[in-house]
Parts: sequence; structure tokens; C-alpha cells
Amino acid sequence: MNLQQQSGTAVPALSASGISKSFVSGLVRIQVLNHLSLNVMPAELTLIAGPSGCGKSTLLSILSGLQYSDGGKVVALGEDLTGASVSELEHFRLKHTGFVFQGFNLFTALTAIEQVELPLNYLGIGKREARERSIEALREVDMFHRANQFPAELSGGEKQRVAIARALAKKPQLLFADEPTSALDASSGSTVINLLHKIAREHQTTVLCVSHDPRLIQHADRVLAMEDGEIRRDWRTESDFDINEHLHATKGIH
Amino acid sequence: MVSLARKSLMREWPRYLPAILAICFAGVLLFMQAALVLGIFGSAAVYVTTSSSDLWVGYPGTQSVNLGRSINADVEYLLRMDGNITAVEPLQWVDADWRSPQTSGGVSVYVIGINPNQDGLVFDQVLDANVRQLLHEPGAVIVDRADLGQLGVETGNWALIDGKSVHVVATASGLRPLGGVNIISSLDTARQLTAGRDKTRATYWVAKLDDPKNADIVRKQLLSKPSFGSYEIWTASEFALRSQFYWMGDTGAGVAVLFMAAIVLLVGLVVASQALMAVVISSAREYATLNALGAGMAALRRVVLEQAAWIGSIGLVFSIGVSTLLLSIAHSRDIPVSITYQMILVWVGVVLGIALLSGLFAMRGLLRADPALLLR
Ligand SMILES: Nc1ncnc2c1ncn2[C@@H]1O[C@H](COP(=O)(O)OP(=O)(O)OP(=O)(O)O)[C@@H](O)[C@H]1O
Ligand SMILES: [Mg+2]
Repeated sequence: MNLQQQSGTAVPALSASGISKSFVSGLVRIQVLNHLSLNVMPAELTLIAGPSGCGKSTLLSILSGLQYSDGGKVVALGEDLTGASVSELEHFRLKHTGFVFQGFNLFTALTAIEQVELPLNYLGIGKREARERSIEALREVDMFHRANQFPAELSGGEKQRVAIARALAKKPQLLFADEPTSALDASSGSTVINLLHKIAREHQTTVLCVSHDPRLIQHADRVLAMEDGEIRRDWRTESDFDINEHLHATKGIH
Repeated sequence: MVSLARKSLMREWPRYLPAILAICFAGVLLFMQAALVLGIFGSAAVYVTTSSSDLWVGYPGTQSVNLGRSINADVEYLLRMDGNITAVEPLQWVDADWRSPQTSGGVSVYVIGINPNQDGLVFDQVLDANVRQLLHEPGAVIVDRADLGQLGVETGNWALIDGKSVHVVATASGLRPLGGVNIISSLDTARQLTAGRDKTRATYWVAKLDDPKNADIVRKQLLSKPSFGSYEIWTASEFALRSQFYWMGDTGAGVAVLFMAAIVLLVGLVVASQALMAVVISSAREYATLNALGAGMAALRRVVLEQAAWIGSIGLVFSIGVSTLLLSIAHSRDIPVSITYQMILVWVGVVLGIALLSGLFAMRGLLRADPALLLR
């Protein structure tokens, strides 16, 4: 299968084909993802929208190598994640991915700049370069003036910006965001989604964002509507792209 | 490098306090136990350890200093003939009965007759020459100041030993033996106390060498010579250990002490690892985040172990403080405690060992750090 042909313009940064996931809770088995396929294009902000409980977060965790699917295949940046070992997945995440969570998940004992530096340490980046990159990342999210603040001293929106800086400083090719705005008020939320959009365009980062918040739709380059473990609709917010061809691409993988 | 372990500890120390206190308590308990064992059983050999004699000659098979029997005085010639030996003197041991106006009934005491001269070897580390020479007065005795109450006397008082009057001329400290009261007198006074009991011969002969390092060689040389009756020769350290082990075995204290130490170790380990595990579990989200960002399980384990090492070190510092305080209280109350470098080294190792081991156990808490839980 030639991916180049499918998308028409570029190789997808992420592609999933026929992935399934089910959980057993008590006696019942819940099918969360049902032979789902999709391609995510590089250097743009893709939004997966859908009602609560439809499996968005589960999909995101499988695409980002945090969890295995039951069946199907996930290829990220040309690497097959389905057959990768736990430590290979860890290495993949370290090298290529950044995360932004709904609950921020900052380290309570670290200052803003230390939050950003810590993952760089694990990447083996030298002290001076780590510091420079952290400052740059904090500047980019307009949080440098609070570099020495602890999370407890920051507002929700500020925390999320620090979390974005933490993801950004790694210079990842893939950035995953799970409900990054749900815990925020409208204006902080739009700041955050605009930042994510800017990162996709300026750093050529593939940003995959998951949310049930309809306000985010207008900020995305492309929207995938999800329901009951399947992608129901797929459209672009800018009309410079052939939606039909793209729909064909995502469905045609089976 | 940002150290998450250290920063968390500094910033959120109250969360780590239970683990630190667990290590501290275990450390103090182990330290005081060791100091008491060394102090109490060390005092079984107080005669040997506070004297400058390198060789002790006594009755064959003597298990402990206090169980000596009189030996043939000809041993003196054997010792004096050896070129390595620079001084020789006898020690007279008398089991006796002490009475004073303040004591109802008698107190069993050990009267130790020693050389009262300036160059005397026995007890020379606790009795300086000025105090020693007071023993030249017939009937003069020196007692440990901690025993004054039990003996019912003050310095300067008179009392009776086996019906003969003695005069307390001075007190000293560090004379207390295990399981008794030492009364120090001159050899002459001791002999007078035993007059008519046919026990006037010396219990031990002690010798000082020109070089204490040769003690074992000289001992072997002496044993190879034709013997002057029955006796046995020990080096000072050998005889001290022999006495201490005898007491530990005889009183059952050795087993009891090991048992207690094992319990303290176990309890310390359980409490510290549980406390540490609680901290790890309460930080599960942070560990999961770190893992999501790509830090491997091995790196997370290192964070836990580093935390355990810090907790161990801080707990150790605390327990050194508390133990020092308790030690000085014990000293001021004449409670027998004693420490050695080896003991402190072993202790530091054991305390840090408890901390690291509890860190290893606490790693099980990392099982809760599943990064998929962060996405819901
Ligand atoms: N580890 C798990 N064990 C059991 N069930 C799970 C597990 N993870 C997810 N589920 C179930 O899978 C379904 C989808 O969960 P998921 O978190 O992907 O939904 P979501 O679309 O992100 O919802 P929301 O918008 O509320 O975050 C839910 O019904 C959830 O109960
Ligand atoms: Mg979700």
C-alpha cells in the first residue's frame, strides 16, 4: 500500500488501520474501538470530536503508544507500534511525542522551568542546552515571566501553558492533547487551542487533539467526528483540501 | 540535571516524614542496643580493657575474669625471664562481704588487690598515679562513684570488708564490672583481708610487653617453655573477648540481643517500606506522567531508589543526633554504654541498608503508575 498515493500530498504522520479495543468490566465486555482506521497528516492540528465515552481518549492512548490495541495496526512516523515492546514504546515516546493532558499533570515539586527541563534531561540533552530550550519554550507560551513559580502558584490556564511548553521543548514530531481545554474557562481555552494550532504550523508538528468541546472545531485544520468507537465524519475547516479524497483515504484502508 | 527525587523531598518533606522517622527510630534503637551491649558486656572485662597489660596469666580454663582462681607464684619468674616483657605484676581477687552503717545486711563485692605504685599496670587507665598512691595506706580502698549508694558510704567513710575495717579514700569512674561491685585496694590490703583463708596467692599475673603487637608471639614462646605448674596465658584482647562472650552466653543475653536486633530490623524495614510505598503510590500520577514523557521503568525505579537513599541519609543524620543525646544522658547517669568505630561503621551500613531495601520494596508502588490512566 502506497501512503503517498492515498493522501495525495504527503505521508501521514500517524496511521491506524482496523484497530479494535475492548475492556472487560465485571461480566460485560465493552467494545470501545471497532475496526477503526484513520490517517493523521503531518504539520496540522487534527481534532477528534465526539460525545463523552465514545472512546476518544482510548484511541489517543493507542495512537501515542501508551496502550496496545487488541487488533489492527498502528504506524507512527513509519514505526510499527503494534509489535513494539514496552521499552520500545517508551523510547518512541521519549524521542518523538509530547503530551498535554486535561489535568495538566505537572510535577508539584518543580518550578515551571524545571518541569520543562526534566524530560530534556531524560533525552540526554546537556545542561546548558536544556536550560536554553526551556526558556525558549516558556517564552513561546508566554510563561517565561513565571519560570520560577510552582504549579500551586499558577492558574489553570497558566499550568496548561507550562504543560505545553514541557511538550514543546522536546521538539516532538507528534503532540497529543487530551481535552486540553476542558478544565479551563473560555478565554484560557482559546489561548491554549490557538497555541496548539500555532505549534502545528510553525514547528511542523503533527498535533492530534481530542475533545468533546465544539468550540475547538473552528480552530482545527481537520475534524474527525467520532461516535461509538468509529469515525463517522471527516472534514477540513479550510476548503483548500479535497475532503472526498481524504474520506476515501481513511475508509480505503480496510 | 533536575533531580525529581531530591526536589520532591525538599518541597514536600512532610509527606516523607513518616519514612524518615521510621528510619530514624530504627537507627536509634539499633544504635542504643549496640552501645548498651558493648557497654554492659564490655564491663565484664573492665579489668582487662582499662589496664595496660598485654598478657594475662591465670588458672587454666578460666572462662571469665571474675572466675579466676589462685595460681602458682612461680609464674612470675617465667614472665620475668622473657626479654620482651618489660613489667610484671600480680592481681589479687577476693570475693568478700561489705558492710557499712548504711547498708542493712552485706553487699557481695569483688576486692581487687592491685599494684599501687606509679608504674602499676592494672586499672592504670582509670586510676591516675595520684589516686593510686592513696592505696598505700593500709585498709585504703577506692570505689566507683556510681556504687556509693549501694555501698552506703561517702568518700572518707569507714566500712567493713569481711569484718575488717577499710577506709574509702577516693572514688573513680569506669570501675564498674558486670554483675558485681569492684573495691580496689593495694595488694597488701587485699592479702590482709584474706589472711587466714589460705588464698593469699595471686589470682592473675599480668605482663607488659615492649611492643604490644608481639603479644601473640610472646604468648606462644612462653607456652613452649617448661611449665611452672598449671596456668594458661591469654593476650589482653583474647581474655577480654573471652570474658564478654562468657557473660553473653551465660546470661542468655547474646541470643536475646540478636533476637531484639532482628525484630528492630524487621519492624524498621516494614514500617519504612510501607511509608515509602505510600509516598510512591500517592505520586503515581507523577510517575505515570514521567513514563508517558518517555522515562522508562528503570528510570522511575532509580527515582524511588534515590529517594530511599536520601530518606536513609536524613534518617541517619537524625538518629545520630538523637543517639548522641541519649549517649550523653546515659554517660551522665553512669549507665554502661560504649561505642567503637567498627560498631558505628556497621551501624551506618545497616541503617542505609534498611532504607535502600525499603526503597526496593516500595518500587511495587510503581505498578500503579500506568500512563494510559492519564488519558480518560
Ligand atoms: N481501563 C479501562 N477499563 C475499563 N473500561 C475502560 C477503560 N478505559 C476506558 N474504558 C471505557 O471505555 C469507554 C471509552 O473511554 P474513553 O476514556 O476513551 O472515552 P472518552 O471518549 O475519552 O470520554 P470523555 O469525553 O468522557 O473523556 C468508556 O466507556 C470507559 O468506561
Ligand atoms: Mg477522554
